[in-house]
Amino acid sequence: MEEKKICKKCILPETRPDIWLNEEGVCSVCVVYENEKKFSKGEKGALETDFIKILEKNKGKGEYDCLVMCSGGKDSTSALYYIKERYKLNPLAFTFDHGFETSDALENVNKAVDKLGVDFLFFKSSFMKDMFAKILKTRSKAVICHLCSMWYMDLTYKIAAKYNVPIIIAGWTKGQSVKQPVMSKCACKSDSPEYASMAKATKDFIEEHVKNDPKYKGFPQNMEEVLKKAKKRHKSMVVSPHWFLPIDADAYVETIKKELDWKYPELSYPAKTTNCELNFISVYNSKKHYGYTHYDLEMSRLIREGIISREEALRDLEINFDKDLLNVIAKKLGYKFE
Amino acid sequence: MTILGISCYYHDSSACLIKDGKLVAAVQEERFDRNKYSSAFPINSINYCLQSANLTSYDIDYVAFYEKPFLKFERIILNHLRSYPFSLKNFLDTTPHWLKDRLILPLTLKEELGFKGDVFFIKHHLAHAASTFLTSPFDKAAILTVDGVGEWATTTYGTGKDNKINVLKEIKYPNSLGLLYSIVTTYLGFRVFSGEGKVMALAETGDPKYLDKFKKIISIKDDGSFRLNKKYFYFNKGGRMYNNNFIKLFGDPRREKEDIKDRHRDVAASLQKTVEDIILKMVKHIHKETGLDNLCLAGGVFLNVTTNTRIVKESFFKNVFIQPAAGDNGSALGAAFYVYNSLKNQPRKHVMKNACLGPEYSDKKIKIFLSNKGVKFKRLENDELTKYVAKKISQDKIVGWFQGRMEFGPRALGNRSILANPGNPKIKDILNKKVKHRESFRPFAISILREDLNDFFDLEIDSPFMLLVGKVKKDEVNSGGREGGLGQKKELIPGALHTNNTSRIQTVKKEDNELYYNLIKEFKNITDLPLVINTSFNDQEPIVCTPEEAYNCFARTKIDVLVLGNYIVEKYV
Repeated sequence: MEEKKICKKCILPETRPDIWLNEEGVCSVCVVYENEKKFSKGEKGALETDFIKILEKNKGKGEYDCLVMCSGGKDSTSALYYIKERYKLNPLAFTFDHGFETSDALENVNKAVDKLGVDFLFFKSSFMKDMFAKILKTRSKAVICHLCSMWYMDLTYKIAAKYNVPIIIAGWTKGQSVKQPVMSKCACKSDSPEYASMAKATKDFIEEHVKNDPKYKGFPQNMEEVLKKAKKRHKSMVVSPHWFLPIDADAYVETIKKELDWKYPELSYPAKTTNCELNFISVYNSKKHYGYTHYDLEMSRLIREGIISREEALRDLEINFDKDLLNVIAKKLGYKFE
Repeated sequence: MTILGISCYYHDSSACLIKDGKLVAAVQEERFDRNKYSSAFPINSINYCLQSANLTSYDIDYVAFYEKPFLKFERIILNHLRSYPFSLKNFLDTTPHWLKDRLILPLTLKEELGFKGDVFFIKHHLAHAASTFLTSPFDKAAILTVDGVGEWATTTYGTGKDNKINVLKEIKYPNSLGLLYSIVTTYLGFRVFSGEGKVMALAETGDPKYLDKFKKIISIKDDGSFRLNKKYFYFNKGGRMYNNNFIKLFGDPRREKEDIKDRHRDVAASLQKTVEDIILKMVKHIHKETGLDNLCLAGGVFLNVTTNTRIVKESFFKNVFIQPAAGDNGSALGAAFYVYNSLKNQPRKHVMKNACLGPEYSDKKIKIFLSNKGVKFKRLENDELTKYVAKKISQDKIVGWFQGRMEFGPRALGNRSILANPGNPKIKDILNKKVKHRESFRPFAISILREDLNDFFDLEIDSPFMLLVGKVKKDEVNSGGREGGLGQKKELIPGALHTNNTSRIQTVKKEDNELYYNLIKEFKNITDLPLVINTSFNDQEPIVCTPEEAYNCFARTKIDVLVLGNYIVEKYV
């Protein structure tokens, strides 16, 4: 079998026409990044005081200063910790469960909100279950995580509007983007080549299977629509402290372990993360259809930003699960992987 | 109590943080925004200082600013009025800056940091005085500050006792030694801020034959107080500050790219001698008036190592302390210490023994940088590292040495340094032409083991911040096998000496910087020379701050070996 060629600088594979490697073995995403860097010379990165400026402008306008999306993973739990302890805000923590969240993650959330003494909203719904099942049954190339993120962002904006909260805090890392305006739009530049095929498949799936399904009437067609609707409904912005803080993941994991008794889950992909059960299926499908996942994109950006090493990324992204695990999860959706 | 000190809007913008009386971080904005002598509001420096202490702007109790902006603005407006209509253009150029940012600092702090607490504006020369006395090891000392100009003062002296400072006398603008030095610097074709050091180096190559002419442009009293003769200067027109009378007296000014002639060297030497003599007179007068044994110095003029050395040797003070960031960068920490110790009446808890107060990069960060860069590198533990690097230096390799926290102040003191073999007679030319890309007359400083100082130089005291010069001793020694036979000490270290056989000296003690000490010790084991050439790690830019900047400087210059922490990258292997 021909060995998959991957970029010499990051970890993205060649998947023409979306991502291609040049003669030096460097991928098109890295080339574009280097060019953008040349033109943005002198542009300062986001500073913590920039974050404080945003908080100062928006805090104290309602019962809660902000809504913190907390999945129980290291990034969102540390974001909640910083908001309460470092920036002394009064947050409303918010966790949603589409039926596939792990008990490890939910335990982390519960411990965090208890120890920090913050108000907490927990929303559990099986609303998305049929949609997830359809992706598998129709063998669609749509990315489960993309559809889920549209749903949960729509939900989060609705909650923010309901509680009149001006800031939504996410635990997103610099791996998604380092430009705050891009990240505040939920991090996906769906027009970028590396996202193009995935975005198209998701769009096609919505067009074919969601748009005319009465159960999903009004389900957003894409993330832009989520943002547009949210903007009309209530003015709130999404920010993540991790975009502004120069504290690396190892350091904040130590802090939340110590302060919030936070724990890594027994099994997760990528290594050292906390994701829902469906994430395993989403990763399996993305690897199968595209040769890479959104984690490869995120880690590649972290490599370009000098935050992690290439070796570290390759190690953390090694597939650590098998089909048996996939089938245990898929059974809940009435599906079986062959 | 947490106090943020700030200096900005003129040159050398900086920030520092004092936590419960200890200086925890200090850094210049130029190291982040990469503009030499940056005057910008030091937002990057402030972020660094706070994060290094794991604090946010919400944790700051007070902000201390290094001058009184309204008082300074008063001087500027009055001077514009006095020189109207010639000052009109300068007035129109500068006034918007004052209104836009300099006079509204509390508002800026609120907007940029969310800080709503008290801001203390400390008189500029008081901030300089505090920067040196309150961080000195002395309970009681005389204090002298000399720079270009603060609000009105250009020179002050007084005394410090415990946590209080008493200013006894000041000399006001436009009578200023710093200003005179800068004016002559521009006359000699160099730029203000960057050129004064060049003039000092040039002075060593000239003959002070124009002292009489300098006596015409500056009158000096026995106590060292002085007055500039306005007949020779423009003070408020903007542009050049010497006038046609000055040109008639000294001849045509040198243009920037013009060759340096003997006349230029002699003017520089005469200026240097004039300034040294005035300051010596002042210092002697201060000693007589205060009767104290200790002297603390600050202000940009005390970056002049030749003057400092004469003070140490010729004044009657037993001990002299010069704060390493003697310029405006250091006045940020002076302002902060003044608020903490003097205004808030807290006991002194900090002695400035170390200037390494800036950013550092972990082993992990450096490894990530190098591996993602795709360059070949190796890692050595400290013992092997110092042996390996010392050997490379002894083989005449030029080494970029990047370790730990970056230095505060203009000097690289062994954490962001380019190191080379002082025994190599060609090394000065190589460093000047192929690494630093600067004038051929510029000398290099050295770092020497403290215990070996007196074997090589006539300097008797510590110089940990590279603020003194020493003359090489004339002793005859065995040339250590390099040339064979007997020779003078100066023949052993031709690369380390200026034309007058002096060198700017940093003395290194094990307890101050163990790794650097061990490196020099290993170099001594190989060569019998207890010193290395140490020049700042940069090439026509601010000193490198990050591993990436260090790597870029290494890649584009003739540096042979790059040492980032424990990692080594080499060219041509």
